[in-house]
Amino acid sequence: MRAKISVEQIVHEYFNPSTWQRVRALDGFSLDVPDGEFVCLVGPSGCGKSTLLYLIAGLTRPTGGRILVDGREVVRPGRDRGMVFQEFAILPWRTVEGNIGHGLEIAQTPRRAKEETVRRYVALMGLSGFEHKYPHELSGGMRQRVAVARTLAADPEVVLMDEPFASLDAQTRNVMQEELVRIALHERKTIVFVTHSVDEAIILGDRVVVLTGRPGRVKASLPIEIPRERRRWDVLGAEERFVRYRQEILRMIREEFDSQERAAEAVRA
Amino acid sequence: MTDPGRAGPRPAPPLPVRTLPRGRAASAAGAAAAAAQMLAPFVLFTAGWALVVGVTRWPEDVLPSPFAVARAFGEVFAKGILVVYAGETIRRIVLAAVTGVAIGIAAGFVMGLHDWIAALLNPPLRFFQSLSGIAWLPLFLIWFGFSDKTIVVAVWYTLVFPVAFNTMLGVRTVPRLYRYAVLTLGGTWRQIVFQVLLPGAIPYIVGGVRLGIAYGWRALIAAEIVVGSGGLGYLIFKAETFHLTARIIAGMTAIGILWYLTDYFLLRPLEEATIERWGLVYR
Repeated sequence: MRAKISVEQIVHEYFNPSTWQRVRALDGFSLDVPDGEFVCLVGPSGCGKSTLLYLIAGLTRPTGGRILVDGREVVRPGRDRGMVFQEFAILPWRTVEGNIGHGLEIAQTPRRAKEETVRRYVALMGLSGFEHKYPHELSGGMRQRVAVARTLAADPEVVLMDEPFASLDAQTRNVMQEELVRIALHERKTIVFVTHSVDEAIILGDRVVVLTGRPGRVKASLPIEIPRERRRWDVLGAEERFVRYRQEILRMIREEFDSQERAAEAVRA
Repeated sequence: MTDPGRAGPRPAPPLPVRTLPRGRAASAAGAAAAAAQMLAPFVLFTAGWALVVGVTRWPEDVLPSPFAVARAFGEVFAKGILVVYAGETIRRIVLAAVTGVAIGIAAGFVMGLHDWIAALLNPPLRFFQSLSGIAWLPLFLIWFGFSDKTIVVAVWYTLVFPVAFNTMLGVRTVPRLYRYAVLTLGGTWRQIVFQVLLPGAIPYIVGGVRLGIAYGWRALIAAEIVVGSGGLGYLIFKAETFHLTARIIAGMTAIGILWYLTDYFLLRPLEEATIERWGLVYR
């Protein structure tokens, strides 16, 4: 089967104006994501996880290599690849309804169908009663639900998520993770999810990809064989496989961290 | 970042709290209190002025009393002079403001969108901004003659800069993530401009417009004095040749009142409406 997303030998460098140097964030990075897979990327800070999402979204162009989505090279952003940002990025001058329906408005969806979809996502995300509120009237958790709903309502085939729950409080985060598991079950989408949290990667992912330190490459790719219905925080902790996955991933991240430390020491010496 | 809901430098505002007095009588009383508070300093000032005139007893063509000014005001009003001249001034400011604001917003947008154009235009713009519109009047007179054109161009000159600079600033402060988010929803550049950059820059644009019209208003009065073809500026200037000092002050009062009303009933509500509704600026 052809992969939905093919990342082929991506090299990405950017200029860091504070150090006046070019930084190589990704160096020959390759990854295939099959259609309908939920893949989580974890790795040490600065390994280029977010950069990879921006590249797939088409918001940034790679220095070398190419990215194919459905066999076509990514050259610009498009509505087939939705993205949820860490800082939400919902528009403060649009109401909850206006934000969620924005993608449909851009796609010129007929009004009736648009309202129907918006209503469905408002209900799904537990935002009923807040349809006409502006973002500054909402809590952080609610804003992020609006951002997730906005991306999903536009019905992209690929959803890119850049640490979307990182800034939420633990309680809200857990609820959002379980909701996302449920949504991913209903709506078959290809999801690439970047996170710092190993636990989050395991509860969400069909597969967890561990990245090396900068420049980022794939260190390991781990299929998570925990059935969807067992992916709830109240039962997951007791799941023996969860503990095993967790130890293994943490060990690999630790390895990367140590090798980076050693490399830094070697430079100093 | 303490507030994750906002991608930009703008902190979340507190929810607007509005205390509404209950009932019609109470709201009438509230409005009266507000009006009294607004008028009180002017009353005090006028009283002080009357006192100075009463004590010094300067001749009326040097410093007329408030009563003499009120009489002169009533006279120019009754003769219809005030209405005609104020009408001229209002027509000119409306014409110059509508076109000038459009020019300023367009220019600001171009500068906000393209860094290199902003870099190219910034030094000359700052240089020309330092020359007031009045300093250009001799040149404008040579180019456009003693006409409305000269007046409108002088008003443009003072008005366009603050509008353009503020618009540029506004466009640039719209967080990049808003643009990215709409691009990943399939937004075109046209949609980015009209659905992200323009609404995002509105609080700055409105602030710039308020400032620009205030500057333009002053330039207008000065230009009217020099060009001398009607308007409140001309009214006060011509009054000087006849030593109608009370009429000069009456004209100045009309200029002040007109501006105050415009700002109070048009510009300030516009600014507050956009800012408070969208919660974009911390107050």
